[in-house]
Amino acid sequence: MAEDLRTERKGRILAVRDLPTLPKVLEEVSKLVERPDSTTEQVAKLISMDQVLSAKVLKMVNSPVYGFPGRISSIGHALVLLGFNVLRSIIVSTSVFEVMTENMVGLWEHSLGCAMACGSVARMLKLKDAEEYAVAGLLHDLGKVVATVQLPDLKSEIEQTVAERDISYLEAERAVMGFGHDRINAWLADHWKLPANIKEGLSYHHKPHLAQLYPEMACVVHIGDFMARVFEYGFSGDVGVNYLQPEALKILKIRPADFEKLLDELSDQFVELADLRFT
Amino acid sequence: MPAAPLCAFTRTQKILVLSPDPELAALFAAAFTPAEAEVVVQTRGKGAIEALFTDPPDMLVVDAKLADIPGLDLVAMIKSENVYRQLPVALIMDESRLSPDIDWCAAEVDELLTRPMTAAMLRSRVTLALARATRSLDANPLTKLPGNTSIIGRIQDLIDRQEDFALAYADLDYFKSFNDKYGFSRGDEVLMMTARIIVNTVRAVGGPRAFVGHVGGDDFVYIMAIDRVEEACASVVASFDNIVPHFYDTEDRDRGFIQSVDREGNRRAFPLMAISIAVVFNRDGRLKHFGEASQTAMTLKKKAKENPKSCYVLDKRHG
Repeated sequence: MAEDLRTERKGRILAVRDLPTLPKVLEEVSKLVERPDSTTEQVAKLISMDQVLSAKVLKMVNSPVYGFPGRISSIGHALVLLGFNVLRSIIVSTSVFEVMTENMVGLWEHSLGCAMACGSVARMLKLKDAEEYAVAGLLHDLGKVVATVQLPDLKSEIEQTVAERDISYLEAERAVMGFGHDRINAWLADHWKLPANIKEGLSYHHKPHLAQLYPEMACVVHIGDFMARVFEYGFSGDVGVNYLQPEALKILKIRPADFEKLLDELSDQFVELADLRFT
Repeated sequence: MPAAPLCAFTRTQKILVLSPDPELAALFAAAFTPAEAEVVVQTRGKGAIEALFTDPPDMLVVDAKLADIPGLDLVAMIKSENVYRQLPVALIMDESRLSPDIDWCAAEVDELLTRPMTAAMLRSRVTLALARATRSLDANPLTKLPGNTSIIGRIQDLIDRQEDFALAYADLDYFKSFNDKYGFSRGDEVLMMTARIIVNTVRAVGGPRAFVGHVGGDDFVYIMAIDRVEEACASVVASFDNIVPHFYDTEDRDRGFIQSVDREGNRRAFPLMAISIAVVFNRDGRLKHFGEASQTAMTLKKKAKENPKSCYVLDKRHG
């Protein structure tokens, strides 16, 4: 791919102004924020189910205007620091998808499923700040959403390539755009000054063994992504399950017995999650 | 007009007017009561400069019509001295003399008054200029929260009106050791974070009438209704304790303490930062002066500091 085309596309990606989300989610969050008795915890819980709102909140709180860029990875902390006033402006500036395709809903559910699985893995391993692993899981496919919004003309070409050449969505992205959503994630994380642990989870979830700074984060997101596919919750763009990097299990010291325990626990949680209807 | 100072100023404002125009002097006399502003009019510029430097007023009004020195030159002379830079200066001139040749970017005046002028317009513009100067001078340069002058003014005003209120003083424990180890800019991050927590919590709990000020360094003040202050304190403490560990490097955070140097120069371990809050109440007009409030708060603060963890202490005597 010609370097200038790549630079031009990167520019278009980073110029993203508004990311749309599902109408139902936005409606629920707006209602909660307007109620005088709502607590930060309630609102944080709801926002933690939506990748677009979560990304916007983290982008805002880590912006240099507030004076502590790259420090906040938790939605709850972000809401305490931003306040409901700023949150309202984020809600107002968020649009909804005018046309709801099945794929958009599918990606939304896949992200939520991945977030939940990441949280469970982190808690099982007794990692500090399990919530931050869930945040990285929620945002791991943000690059796909941004690409859809900013490079809409390439979206159908990617999907077509997946179907015709029987390759993964990531490989198709690289074939069509010249870069994958993992790379887009890294650009966005830098541009929005997201904390380094979140950035690593977002940009290395397909190659967790190569993560340098926060290998645990990358490995947890990798496994969360895998689990959401195993339980067939939502749709990531690929039919079937991705390759589970054995190194991820090794780095996290997950034994086969742990893995079974995890599968049991997640199967209950995915059943519960399936009862939630946001679409 | 009321026999009280302007805005929230605790005293009469001194305004020095340098103008040969008797009409302008008359307008000032009509615009302000003697309690609001003590207006001194001098007709010559050069003679006023020495007095201006030794006993600066709260505001200076310079007439472009001064015979002995061009108005803008006089302004430049004053503004080039760092200690007088914050003095608000208004230039008054005939509107008909406004020309495109005047270099307003280089003119260090803070307000422009034009003739013809009315007493009402003069009062509005001069009051605004005084209030604006106080705000921008007083605001904390880091957090932009109101500083000491506004804080004292607000407290004294509430005391004078005998309103019930709770006054909370908050500061950080082990902030100095954090600053020493990580440097000033990381310290500033923590102060910005603390300010944000306090502002949001106090606004959410205390409503729009609540007030937050930044005394300086790691000292903050907030004023709100008596019945909600404990809730706000508990919430500030909880949020601070949750968030502050993220401002440390991972190793220090996992260890739970940092190695730094104390005031005597000895290396020792310091716990993670905590927030201490002391709350003083004014009920039934018991407090007479701002000093009483701050003194009580300082005594309580010592008590709060005995606890190395974040905590708040309420003034039991009238709590």
